[in-house]
Amino acid sequence: MNIQASLWRSIAVFRLASLVYAAVLVAVDRADYAHLALAWVVLAGMTAWTAVTTAAYAVPARRTRVLLAADLLATAAALGSTALLQYPGSVTAAAMPVTATWVAGPVLAWAVAGGIRAGTVAALVLGACDLTLRHQSLDSVYRSRVLNGTVLLLLAGVVVGYVSTLASRAEQAVQRATEIEAASRERERLARGIHDSVLQVLALVQRRGAEVGGEAAEIGRLAGEQEAALRTLIAASAAGGLAAGEQDLRTLLTAQTSASVSVVTPADPVLLAGETAREVAAAVHAALDNVRQHAGQTARAWVLVEDEGPTVTVTIRDDGAGIAPGRLARAAADGRLGVSQAIQGRMRDLGGSAAITSEPGAGTQVQLTLPHPVAR
Amino acid sequence: MLYGSAVGEPRVRVMVVDDHPMWRDAVVRDLTEAGFEVAAAVGEGAQAIRVAAAVRPDVVVLDLHLPDMSGVKVTTGVLAAWPTARVLILSASGEQRDVLDAVKAGAAGYIVKSASRTEFLDAVRGTAAGEAVFSPGLAALVLGEYRRLAASPAPDTPRLTDREAEILRMVGTGLSYKQIADRLVLSHRTVQNHVQNTLNKLHLHNRVELVRYAIEHGMDAQDSYDTGDG
Repeated sequence: MNIQASLWRSIAVFRLASLVYAAVLVAVDRADYAHLALAWVVLAGMTAWTAVTTAAYAVPARRTRVLLAADLLATAAALGSTALLQYPGSVTAAAMPVTATWVAGPVLAWAVAGGIRAGTVAALVLGACDLTLRHQSLDSVYRSRVLNGTVLLLLAGVVVGYVSTLASRAEQAVQRATEIEAASRERERLARGIHDSVLQVLALVQRRGAEVGGEAAEIGRLAGEQEAALRTLIAASAAGGLAAGEQDLRTLLTAQTSASVSVVTPADPVLLAGETAREVAAAVHAALDNVRQHAGQTARAWVLVEDEGPTVTVTIRDDGAGIAPGRLARAAADGRLGVSQAIQGRMRDLGGSAAITSEPGAGTQVQLTLPHPVAR
Repeated sequence: MLYGSAVGEPRVRVMVVDDHPMWRDAVVRDLTEAGFEVAAAVGEGAQAIRVAAAVRPDVVVLDLHLPDMSGVKVTTGVLAAWPTARVLILSASGEQRDVLDAVKAGAAGYIVKSASRTEFLDAVRGTAAGEAVFSPGLAALVLGEYRRLAASPAPDTPRLTDREAEILRMVGTGLSYKQIADRLVLSHRTVQNHVQNTLNKLHLHNRVELVRYAIEHGMDAQDSYDTGDG
């Protein structure tokens, strides 16, 4: 829906209705007019101008500064002609000028075209014309009813200008949203395409490579890593609709998947504050680094993410060599605090905790627990 | 070649559903070489449901990503067409929501496409033998689903026992049933039963929900998935 177009249509309707009102006023207040026939000529001119502006403003390309200026001048001229048409006594006694409310037409047009500022300018120009017409001195103006007309024009200019600005902003926002939606649909289409072809082939290469062994196994491993990376990329670009500053922990952790690391998560997003999520991901990264360095070449690792309502738990387990009893405590006593300390420190800073359990030959398990700050 | 099956014993009949021709061929070859009877291999969901009724497979190896139908609909349709079939999902790791929905709709297990051939064949054998084939990924999904149900205000939602939750966590961190049995000093069978139970409760709950939905919306249960001439 085009809000601007309907504003312009409303202005055309307003002008037409005002024109009829002005004609009725001339007929009723004919006693005020020294040259009644001329007044009807001016009204005929106003009718013609109403027709011209209605046709011209209907087309966006014709809403030029020239037309707007001409509109203001024509209206001011019609307003000024009142001085010739009515008896001088009627004019200063604040009888309705020949233009009546029709005078507001260009104020509305300026406001819609140029916002509050343009609306105000047009209102002040026409208000000044009106006041000049009445020969009001500045000190008597404050107590005069004549000022009402100017104030109302000003009000119309400001309010309509404001509405027009809001409307065009809203239209831009809708436009942007439509573009974003189109872009995300395109991304989804690409993701589906990649899923149907590239990911399937990479997964197959990984599987066959592992069976054939030797150099093929290495190729398979690389294909597997690329598959995981590409899948993460697609998932990250498809994820939208997060509140500002929130982050789905699943997205960050799934990115650490590799041939030897599998990351498993619930189906629903695990939402944390962005900084918290990144800290947890860094702690998981440190734990996985530790696995790579100490658990042995062939060790595999699993990362289990659980969202338990009041807490979020991430468990990292490997099937590597494990740590001898007391070695962690000894390391701490020797001042070689290393990775476990880094992980525990990180989690403590977040208000959580980290528990490390290990047995020689049975791998190591690191459990990170974090209070859930996001209300469910 | 009939490895893995004694002479005279009927072979396990498997149907393969995957829209990617390379994958379909690879899976069929692996199954055939391992001594399974591949009863059919199809690439579309509607076709899978029709063919399942005709060939009556013991196990359906199902990729959830099909061009014409969602994985849930295929699972439901296959099980309605041939209720003794056991559906094993073989799918990519990024389709968690689909996997969970298919498992709730009655699938018996889930294995990722990146699993090795041996793991895959073991999974098919396990499924045929009536076991719940749980990858770590499925354990995480099921734990999450129970968590979600526990948070819902609805009455009579299924809950995990402490033991079931403990075992699912172990499966989720990559431990095999045998390793879990050793750690908890339980029999392999008991561990399997606990895992199977977690799925049975979800299946049952899902059926109850479907019936409740059907009643609330004033139609009989058949209409809820057969929207034809009912």
